[in-house]
Amino acid sequence: MTTTNRALNRAVLGVLGVALIIAGALTAAAGFSADVANDWTRIGTQAWAWTQQQLGSARIPNTSTSWWTVAVFGVLLVAAFLLVCWIMSQGGGRTNHVGRHEESDGTTTVESGLAAQAIKDALSGNEQVLSTAVQAWRIRGTDGLKISVQARKGASPRDVTLTIAELVAGLDALLGEQVPVLIRIKAGARTRFARTERVD
Amino acid sequence: MSHSSNIRRINRRETHSSRAVASVVTAAILLLAILWLVAGLVLKATGNAALLVSPAELAQRVALLARNTLPAALTGGGIVVAIAGLVLVLLATLGGTKPRHVIDNPRAAVVVDNEVLAAAISRTACQTARLAPEQVSTRVGRKTVDVTVHPSSGLKLDEAALKEAVDAEVLGFALQRAVTLRVAITEKGAVGV
Repeated sequence: MTTTNRALNRAVLGVLGVALIIAGALTAAAGFSADVANDWTRIGTQAWAWTQQQLGSARIPNTSTSWWTVAVFGVLLVAAFLLVCWIMSQGGGRTNHVGRHEESDGTTTVESGLAAQAIKDALSGNEQVLSTAVQAWRIRGTDGLKISVQARKGASPRDVTLTIAELVAGLDALLGEQVPVLIRIKAGARTRFARTERVD
Repeated sequence: MSHSSNIRRINRRETHSSRAVASVVTAAILLLAILWLVAGLVLKATGNAALLVSPAELAQRVALLARNTLPAALTGGGIVVAIAGLVLVLLATLGGTKPRHVIDNPRAAVVVDNEVLAAAISRTACQTARLAPEQVSTRVGRKTVDVTVHPSSGLKLDEAALKEAVDAEVLGFALQRAVTLRVAITEKGAVGV
């Protein structure tokens, strides 16, 4: 339920992938064919000479450094900043409240801890559920609730869903509105090690 | 922003990979390379020795790479780079579905691990046919459910009842994506379970 920008991830990965494929194919072709290798060397030599000339023509007075080097330095720093932003954009979106109502005489906020405690208490005696975690996440401008449970091995997902759906109905009545809810029924370490419940 | 579109969105995001790991790894590698170049530029400007090679020397080497490298090494290196690129393109374009199923529910998005579904089906089969848990194994895929039953040696297994019970269990899940159920009963019976 994170707010990760998935389209951005795929777009950037795709563009970088295409760039790597082109670079790799070109390098491999230079290994196969002497023509491509000669072209590479010719263009490379020309480009290097041109770069040297540009570097020399824009020298910072009294130093051996060129303004172009400073420009490249700036571009690299911007690229590094953008990459850090990309990394920071992964995940995120957790909140600690599930409902927020602004009225003329004040704002009402419901802490997600309230909903979490109510749901955990209700499921604590359930033989089919080994553990419960409840978190609140931002989803399209509203707050949503994620209820994750580890099911006992062999537990019927339908029964677990029905039990939690009942709790969610109670929560709806309590909050006076229907917040988006995700019910995640997982298998985990505890599912594998706990004994199987053979009696319903 | 309606209720059902929120549920659809959550269901979709919960059953597909966000590509966050691949993105972070790619960004970290690029970031290291860029920071190394930046460090190289700073060291050069302040008159210090470069780390490995200076950026200018690196540029010159790339320009003359095709002349100064063995053709076989060029080809091999190029293929490795192209494969890395292909992996990224596949990550960008493939669906990236996780081993989970969506259960139809009007109020909430419900996503269940395939492992949980398989365990529930196995348990139903065991209870109906009165078998030990080890005699039934179930695999749940995106479109199929495979149940393999090893009957107890010498005892007759009520195949119709077993299939009916498993079928009813799978239908009872109300999976959003319909699955094909296959129940296989092995010829060899199990002894001593």
